[in-house]
Amino acid sequence: MSDDEATRPDGGASDGHAQADGGSAEAAGNPVTPEVPAVDHDTGGFFETDGLPDSASIKRWLVTTNHKDVGILYLATSLFFLVFGGVLALLMRIQLWVPRAAGEGILGPVAYNQAVSAHGLLMVFWFLSPFAFGFANYIVPLQIGAKDLAFPRLNALSYWLYLFSGLLYGVSFFQGSAFSGGWTMYAPLSVPSFLPSIGATTSVLALVLFVASVTIGSVNFLTTMHRMRAKGLSIRDLPLFTWTILLTVWMMLFAFAALLAALMILSSDRLLGTTYFAQTNDAGSMLWTHLFWFFGHPEVYIVFFPALGVMAETFQTFTGRRIVGRKWFIGAMILVALQSFGVWMHHMFLTSINLQAKTLFMATTIGISLPFDLMVFALIYTLVKGDIRFKTPFLFSFGALVLFIVGGITGVFLGAVVLDYEFRGTYWVVAHFHYVMVGGVTALVGGLYYWFPKITGRMYDEFLGKVHFAMYFVGFNLLYFPMFVVWETPRRVFAYQSSFAPWHQIATIGGFLLGSSFLVMFYNLYRSVWDGEIASDNPWEYASTAEWTIPSPPPLENFPGIPDYTDGHLSFRDDSADAAADGGVVDTASGGGELAHETGHEDHHVSHASIWPFVVGVGSFLTLLGASGFRNGSLVDGGMGGVYLGLLLTGAVVTLGSLVAMTVEPFHGPDVTHSEKWPFDGVENTKLGMWIFLASDVVLFGAFIGSYAFVRVAYGWQDWHHLIPAAHVPLPGLINTYLLLTSSFSVVVAMVAAQKEKKGWLLGSLVTTFVLGVAFLVNKALEWQHLFHVHSEAFPQGWDLSTNIASSTFYLTTGLHGAHVAVGLLITLYMIVRAARGAYLGNDEPIEYFGLYWHFVDIVWLFLFPLFYIL
Amino acid sequence: MLSNATVWALVVLLQSSIVPRGSRSEVFNQILQVFLWLGTAVGVVVIAYMCWKAYKYRASGGHVDESAVDRPDLGELPQGSGGGRKLFVSFSMSAIIVVSLIAWTYGTLLFVEESPSVEETGGDELVIEVVGSQFMWTFVYPNGHESRTLRAPVDREVKLRVTSADVFHNFGVPGLRVKTDAIPGQQTDTWFRAEETGTHTAHCYELCGSGHSYMDAEVRIMEQQAYEEWYSNTTPSNATATPSGDGASDHGRLRLPTGVNA
Repeated sequence: MSDDEATRPDGGASDGHAQADGGSAEAAGNPVTPEVPAVDHDTGGFFETDGLPDSASIKRWLVTTNHKDVGILYLATSLFFLVFGGVLALLMRIQLWVPRAAGEGILGPVAYNQAVSAHGLLMVFWFLSPFAFGFANYIVPLQIGAKDLAFPRLNALSYWLYLFSGLLYGVSFFQGSAFSGGWTMYAPLSVPSFLPSIGATTSVLALVLFVASVTIGSVNFLTTMHRMRAKGLSIRDLPLFTWTILLTVWMMLFAFAALLAALMILSSDRLLGTTYFAQTNDAGSMLWTHLFWFFGHPEVYIVFFPALGVMAETFQTFTGRRIVGRKWFIGAMILVALQSFGVWMHHMFLTSINLQAKTLFMATTIGISLPFDLMVFALIYTLVKGDIRFKTPFLFSFGALVLFIVGGITGVFLGAVVLDYEFRGTYWVVAHFHYVMVGGVTALVGGLYYWFPKITGRMYDEFLGKVHFAMYFVGFNLLYFPMFVVWETPRRVFAYQSSFAPWHQIATIGGFLLGSSFLVMFYNLYRSVWDGEIASDNPWEYASTAEWTIPSPPPLENFPGIPDYTDGHLSFRDDSADAAADGGVVDTASGGGELAHETGHEDHHVSHASIWPFVVGVGSFLTLLGASGFRNGSLVDGGMGGVYLGLLLTGAVVTLGSLVAMTVEPFHGPDVTHSEKWPFDGVENTKLGMWIFLASDVVLFGAFIGSYAFVRVAYGWQDWHHLIPAAHVPLPGLINTYLLLTSSFSVVVAMVAAQKEKKGWLLGSLVTTFVLGVAFLVNKALEWQHLFHVHSEAFPQGWDLSTNIASSTFYLTTGLHGAHVAVGLLITLYMIVRAARGAYLGNDEPIEYFGLYWHFVDIVWLFLFPLFYIL
Repeated sequence: MLSNATVWALVVLLQSSIVPRGSRSEVFNQILQVFLWLGTAVGVVVIAYMCWKAYKYRASGGHVDESAVDRPDLGELPQGSGGGRKLFVSFSMSAIIVVSLIAWTYGTLLFVEESPSVEETGGDELVIEVVGSQFMWTFVYPNGHESRTLRAPVDREVKLRVTSADVFHNFGVPGLRVKTDAIPGQQTDTWFRAEETGTHTAHCYELCGSGHSYMDAEVRIMEQQAYEEWYSNTTPSNATATPSGDGASDHGRLRLPTGVNA
């Protein structure tokens, strides 16, 4: 590489780079890009292939599965939620203009709490991460040299679930009141006895749907990044933005599983009447804080890492310097990602945790702050000897680094436990995390300007971009810096010490300035999409990542050939020829290679449009909206109860139907024949996806089992037996253990039968599995029915979900497992139908993947049985 | 995993006067001052350095001999430029500052976490129970007297035992720099020592419902004499003094935590 550099004349002319790169041009095939034809800038430049309608039609956006389209949808939708959350913030700032008595000002107390809660939730969940994932969707496949994500329809599904979860949150405002217990949703304020409105339930369910979207997205991105990199692009060599997304997604996979557990338990408390977080459960409050912050702290890095990635990319491009200490930078991020799961109790220094725990978490907290010092210095030293051009993207990134430094330093204050004791619940915390989080937003806005020409094929207006930055930066500091000055204001109140009022007024003015700066941005970008200067493939001098080697906007299939880094530089190999005849590329004999290869040919005539992800989104929306009408296991009174039930049933039918339709529909994922797959060479995409999904499911069950252990220890491990009727005996559980183990065996038989192409055996063993699974559920139903109607001295009313904490944990945890069994049975039923028509013979992969799931469900039961029946 | 040297260093720190001691306000203010000065200094230096470099190496600055610099190349396999040593030196410096600052405050944390000793409390410990409920604070004195105002003697360690009768609250008196969570079913302990008589306001620092903004209580620091006089005239509150509807039955009879890190 260095040889090439040495021979290259360093003219510094912007677009002449590829041509000037004499040393490697031929071999690299780099200069092919300018010749790539057919970028129709007048229609926005999107190609019309792959069965997708024109980008000007609405239908295109409903059926698209292309990663670039989905990326644009994510960006647009997240900006909508930015405005939504931002307007709520401005309402709060108006309320805070002067200290108010109850009922004064534009927001009443409940409305204020709703605004506070919704602002936090919308910004963190529905704006920040999805905004970053808009870029991730668009840019990551380009940077790694993939045609699309591994599972394009699941990607579209992620998006639609995200959109509909956000709409569901919006609806919750019209059902009495949206959730008003703060974005941290501390228990027991979050249960219906304190927040009874239906809307509060809907808000929680909206979050559940959002987490579903995130989990699907995580599985998809991880499979893609681990199995679909261009030849010669090892994980170590990934561009920094992609690196940050890789780590973000790994953190998401596990952190959001913990949040999902917390939200499912909370939903169950609200809908079914379990008592985990009820005031009567002495450990409920602490349980929530542990579960929430176990998710919550990684979440901080989940939203910040992509911003860091944008900073790294833009710093390198606009300084014309490769990042200083790249390996250390990456190492530091990996450390942070791992450690992020071991710092959560620093949010709980004033709870009843003991001194040892405080000391430990103080130490890990300092530990996790240090890698960030390294990253900040690495970015700063990258400036040295640069050729720095202060274009809008760089201004935002540079500003973001300044803000992050302030946020970081003020965070060290919070790491000192003695100071944290006083800062807890004050505006110091508010100011600190806004400097960090909105600091991150600043970098992402820079990313929007940076990639705007790539995405739209047109330049934004540089002058207006700079105006935006000036207003943004001044507004930001006017808004958040005064919060440090009057840090003694308690959080989430609107009655504060009157001497603080002038500072809060400055903050309010700053808030409006910050908000209005986005009007400039929207105007600028909107105008530029239509009238902007046509952007070249690479409008930024010194940009080096792969997305700049292809047209702006890129064609649907992304690359003019098969991307390849084998000789240290990106080149595109001819992909029109049969892969086998492609002499230049050595085919790795990977397990799933043949399968993917086969479908690669059909790629050109199989439609890449699918309406079903959208329909699943609609169905989930209706289902959860209907579910919100439940409270403690029964429907709300009056006519509305029927409406909710109707919504629930309609939604369930639509969701299930569209899932089946999606499975039946012919659709092929992108070809992975020519990709770098270490360390997953021998694993096919779907199998890897299944493994990754199961990894998150392990965390989900782990959180449920952990919750059980936590409340039981708190109650007294042995005293717990007093909460359980004598009728609760191990026998039904034991029978179920045998049933499940046998069914696992019959799945293995089915797999072997499919391999050996014996249809009778295949059908027989699948039906056996189904029957055993049904027997498991029937046995469980009988057991539950019996326990519900127990009549003993201790339990005259029976032993149901809301009887006590022991019954709640028993029914909910084994119920979650039962739901897994039920899902497995639906899949089995589907496979039986297909097998009867002759499917799977000689093609046992689908059965193998289902087997993975089914064995996992069995193994979980092997943990649950002793925990809930014997100990 | 602490080595002997570290333990020794900690002991020295704890016993020397470097570690702030005194009332919670004194301790807090001392530490905050140091953090503010150092934090500002570090922030100003780092940001100024960064702006200076950005200005110096601006495109039109002409401070770089382009032939000596290796610029990134479109389509190259991502890589870094050197500079690892400089990076490490700065990183080590920042690590030393941060770790020593936190270690320093850790001494104070141990001091703050210690329960007041017998000498300090003059033999009889004053423990006041604090119960949060939507949206008020109830203070329960050793003799069972309940009040909405926290009265405490000046110059004496007062231990607070805090819990909640309904949702998660947080009891804090900014004037005395004392704060702790009020969690249903749990008990948290904290303490303060007021140096002057006077009146302070306690707030709730955890969102607890519609009345959160107004969940305040008056804290009256009295001369010891006056306090004793007032206290000797108090009587245990009986069950008819219901402070807050449903949650009232819990007052005075704290539901003690059942085992989690009490």
